[in-house]
Amino acid sequence: MLEPILQDFLDKWVYPTGFSGPGAEFRLKETERFIPVWNNVVIGALHKANEQLNSENEDWKRNGALGGYSGEGPHMSIKQMSTQLLSVSIPQQAKYIDLQRMRARQVWDEVKHGSLHADILLRGGWIKKETELLDDPRAANQGDPAYFGLTAMVPHIHPLSRAGQNYLEEAVACLRLISVLSVMEDPLVRHENDSQLLEEMMHFIEGKYQIDAYALTPEDQEPIKAVFDYLLRPWGRSAAHAKEAEHAKK
Amino acid sequence: MATQSKQAPLFIDHEMCTECRMCYVVCREIDLNAVVIAPEAQHLYEIDERCIYPGCTVCLMYCPAPGSIVETSTGRSLVPPPADVHTDELKWPRKAPKS
Repeated sequence: MLEPILQDFLDKWVYPTGFSGPGAEFRLKETERFIPVWNNVVIGALHKANEQLNSENEDWKRNGALGGYSGEGPHMSIKQMSTQLLSVSIPQQAKYIDLQRMRARQVWDEVKHGSLHADILLRGGWIKKETELLDDPRAANQGDPAYFGLTAMVPHIHPLSRAGQNYLEEAVACLRLISVLSVMEDPLVRHENDSQLLEEMMHFIEGKYQIDAYALTPEDQEPIKAVFDYLLRPWGRSAAHAKEAEHAKK
Repeated sequence: MATQSKQAPLFIDHEMCTECRMCYVVCREIDLNAVVIAPEAQHLYEIDERCIYPGCTVCLMYCPAPGSIVETSTGRSLVPPPADVHTDELKWPRKAPKS
């Protein structure tokens, strides 16, 4: 049984496809593996949000801004992006000319992302200046192994690798944000999540587009599939998110 | 080139658009080039008369910002894409390059 939030997301953003051919077919086939994970993400996010609503204090708001909704609080997202600029070799420039521009745009997105969490901490009165966060480990750590990020072991090994993380993981981000927004009325929390949703949607769509348009051969699909396999391992980032649902069921 | 033309079948609602440039990238990928960077204002993205909607709807499949691309004749929002604009016939065929 799919959560209504996931079904709506699939119908509006996953299934509409601009291209036919092997890229889109590959994406939709791989998506079947993600649906149970994404469904658990929604279940877990709704459970956590309801727990927070019933909390006796507001520590969760401060902690949410310090850590971000996915371990990318005020300072982590831009630190990660600095390791993720995309190199495309000269012979591949004609094929992947726009991928570098999409990477550059995401670096700027992550700057805004970090600033948003800092804004929440300032508006909530938990800090007076953002520089206070430089000494706070809660604002500068990430626990889950992403394929790309400070926990990653590899640079971009293929121009299309990032499309894999963007498609699978940014969908997770979108679903968590949509789930939280479906139950939260607090204006500070809504600001933080609402403001972030369009950005994560953009990164998800970027992954979707790159797979549909460029992953046309088994050789081009392999590095994307490797990212999916990595993230879905028991210790991988997507699997870690889905575990929230197991916690919720207990 | 006149931009944000009343004669173009689609237009971008700048109140909703996030300037992510996905529509620009996609339209250029299929060689229509109907999404342009306006020469005036803040270099916003706009759609010109080269747009062949409803014969092509590919930009609508990769726009992430609800409400940001609008049907000129009706004012109908096309993001996320309604069912009638993502039929199989409207998909652009992509094939693996010959090795």
